[in-house]
Amino acid sequence: MNSATAPESPKLKAATSGFVLAAAIAALFNTALAWARDAYAPLNGIMKSLTGNPWIAHCLADVVLFAGLGFLFTKTRAAEKIDPSWLTGALIGAVAIAALGLALWFAFV
Amino acid sequence: MNISASDVILLAHAGFGVTGCLAALWVFIEALSAQPGNAARIRAAALVTALSMAAAWICGGYWYVHFYPAEKALILGGPWPFAHNLVMETKEHLFLITGMLAFLLPVATREELFSHAAARKLVLSVAALIVITGLTVEGAGAVIEHGAKVALLRGGAKGDR
Repeated sequence: MNSATAPESPKLKAATSGFVLAAAIAALFNTALAWARDAYAPLNGIMKSLTGNPWIAHCLADVVLFAGLGFLFTKTRAAEKIDPSWLTGALIGAVAIAALGLALWFAFV
Repeated sequence: MNISASDVILLAHAGFGVTGCLAALWVFIEALSAQPGNAARIRAAALVTALSMAAAWICGGYWYVHFYPAEKALILGGPWPFAHNLVMETKEHLFLITGMLAFLLPVATREELFSHAAARKLVLSVAALIVITGLTVEGAGAVIEHGAKVALLRGGAKGDR
């Protein structure tokens, strides 16, 4: 079977769609948390008190959110109904917004 | 020759990051012509991407926490303070997105890419995002190191006068 003649299947597996949606949300959360830490110093202090360095707490928050939402969406099959093309577009858009959001924030704020 | 643990960890961080980018590029190229015959290679390359990025994350994180504060002070006192204020601040958060995308890739490549056009587009997109953000982070690392270098060189030049 080659890609030109293969039948098209519109749905992704529950784990794929779940973790794609989780990655899009976690990417945006990552940028929002960076903004919040930079704008509100006490939050940095709280995160430092948790792990010794606020960046480590930031990493853990991202990974826990990504993995937690990924497993939750997989188990509940919540993202499985979403059109795969929309999910792909949402992930690309989320990463682009998150990356630009970081660069612009640290450049101008 | 005097190579410190700091040097080894920093170079390992960059080396694992480049390896992860190359593995993601490998996934991208294989996925362009996905067939049953290259499915195992795509999954292996996706796993290499995730493991390399995890290693880059651990090495980079350890170096950042234990060795970067001294370099940060040097950069901020030198002629390129933006190497920290803009470049490092962006890099240390952008890399987290690259890492999560790298962890996503092995999950996405479990789809039958040769028979599922939407899944193939997803894998191509994730792999491309890893390469683009990963190379951006690599370039940012070079700018940060140059920020430290110009601080030392120009500081030293001033001291010589």
